[in-house]
Amino acid sequence: MNAPTPTRKYDLGFARWVRDNIDHAERMNMCMQCGVCSGSCPLRNEMDNGPRKTFMMVRAGMKEEVLKSSTLWNCVSCYSCVVRCPREVPVKYILHGLLTYAIEQGYQEAQDTDNYKFASAFWNVAAGSGRVDERVFTAKFYLKYGIGGLISKGMANQKIAMGMIKSGRMPLFAAPHKIKGKGDLKKILAKAAEIEKTKHASLRDGER
Amino acid sequence: MSNGGPSSQTILVVGGGISGVSAAIEAAEAGQEVILLESTATLGGRVAQLNRYFPKLCHPTCGLEINYSRMKKARNLKVYTLTTVENVTGERGNYTVTVKTQPRYVNANCTACGDCAQATEAKVPNPFNYAMDEISAAYLPHEMAFPMRYVVDGSVIGTPEADKIKGACKYDAVDLDEREGSFDVTVGAIVWATGWQPYDPAKLTSYRFDSSPDIITNVEMERMASHDGPTGGKIVRLSDGAEAKKVALVQCAGSRDHNHLPYCSRVCCLASMKHAAYVRERYADANVDIYYIDIRAHDKLDTFYQRIKNDPQVNFVKSKPASIVVNDEGRPCVKGENTLTRELYEEPYDLIVLATGMEPAVGAPPVSLTQDDYGFIVPDEGEEDSGMISCGVASGPLDVSMSVQSATAAALKAIQAVKGAA
Repeated sequence: MNAPTPTRKYDLGFARWVRDNIDHAERMNMCMQCGVCSGSCPLRNEMDNGPRKTFMMVRAGMKEEVLKSSTLWNCVSCYSCVVRCPREVPVKYILHGLLTYAIEQGYQEAQDTDNYKFASAFWNVAAGSGRVDERVFTAKFYLKYGIGGLISKGMANQKIAMGMIKSGRMPLFAAPHKIKGKGDLKKILAKAAEIEKTKHASLRDGER
Repeated sequence: MSNGGPSSQTILVVGGGISGVSAAIEAAEAGQEVILLESTATLGGRVAQLNRYFPKLCHPTCGLEINYSRMKKARNLKVYTLTTVENVTGERGNYTVTVKTQPRYVNANCTACGDCAQATEAKVPNPFNYAMDEISAAYLPHEMAFPMRYVVDGSVIGTPEADKIKGACKYDAVDLDEREGSFDVTVGAIVWATGWQPYDPAKLTSYRFDSSPDIITNVEMERMASHDGPTGGKIVRLSDGAEAKKVALVQCAGSRDHNHLPYCSRVCCLASMKHAAYVRERYADANVDIYYIDIRAHDKLDTFYQRIKNDPQVNFVKSKPASIVVNDEGRPCVKGENTLTRELYEEPYDLIVLATGMEPAVGAPPVSLTQDDYGFIVPDEGEEDSGMISCGVASGPLDVSMSVQSATAAALKAIQAVKGAA
């Protein structure tokens, strides 16, 4: 007898891992797949799976698909799902927890989606100078598509740029925005990262 | 009895719906003295307000008639309508119950001729039709009322309309001087059959119940389908009176929802399938969509579910709708995600029926009763001495036949309680 060849990898421990390691995910066991979260989601058409199916995929052990999905990125934290869920599942929090884990594990970097490029450019500028300067940020974001990307995307968005310049939203010649005490910001961020690391470690050791 | 004092063998039944009526008759036929209290002007309760009911889809007229005739034969059964419990003291075998009566303004001379209703122009919202229409201020609660006697609404007392009503009565049955009263009864056990009320649909904010007259509840659908309902049995859009040929039935409107009623109300799935049958029997070209989380057709009624499922014009959509919105043409639309196809839908309907759940009607009871987290009256744990018994939907969400079973069980428990055998 030939065993069927699995065409997809299932991680049968994934649901349990998510429940134990992602904040609030223990409520996910209450999900009854009614569809109110996905039906309420204003960004549902931008998502590949939507929250309801994501939860089913976690249960099924489809770790790779879940951690690579656009659903995690496209949540805009409107809280409609959290408010309406008939089983009090904090849907939005769980999606964000999954996203954080997906980034930590390098799933999103490996995939290098538009979302990932945008978010990493944004964070890079914000953490570096304390402010997001439109010119610096746009250049960094477009450069992630290479020199060709910088030029073609820059040209495509010329009109928007002109509009912003005219209305005084984006100065042409002034130095990029930054804050005083960039060094202090760096220290704050380093401390936050340290706290997060120890907190995560203690969470994973079961101190909830 | 524990106090060794005088004891009462009388059983008090609170609530004159199908459960209370059944419990009272069963106990009375077994030879006990029984007092039955009902807060409204007639027996029959919520069952009388149904168009048809399970298991055989009979009209409730039939079941009520059988019970009424049994009741008339039971000499040891006393019925008080417009009466509520004010206070209870004592213990099993010797409860003193203070009851309060509201005036009916019509005495036993009434022959239900209806001349009084003709005599007045004054109208009041019709409680029997969930205030979907109005009725004369002198009215018969419904055609299966028990006692078969008119009521004069308190709002016209002291006005010239009241005098017109009195003047029209040929039998001297209208007594405008009736006042609230109060008296005590001594009983050995109390059966609480206080029933339920529909969950308030206005609390389901995302379903915007007030945004369109074409969004109704399941209890209103029962009245609309009834020959004595506000539309004379026609299923229509209340906004313009047009025939409702595309109907959405939304399950779990309030039930199985931690923000509302966390429990399953148990009857709504089958009740909605019954509503699908009402619509399909009336209009050959009607389409019905049933939105559900999962179908809970209990017991042998699964056959009925299969029958409805096999109707090609009844479509089951596995989805709890996320919201109801009114579109540009003024039609209410059901919105959500179909969980089988993953498609998002926004579908306009002639009529949207919310299957609102049942919540216990006993708000703050006049005596300390053991209630569960949801307000249903449950047996005292470990307190064997209690003569407090509950039945019907006062004890949990039940359908009619299960309510009647629980009523019979409650009658037996009450008899055991007064005989000291429990």
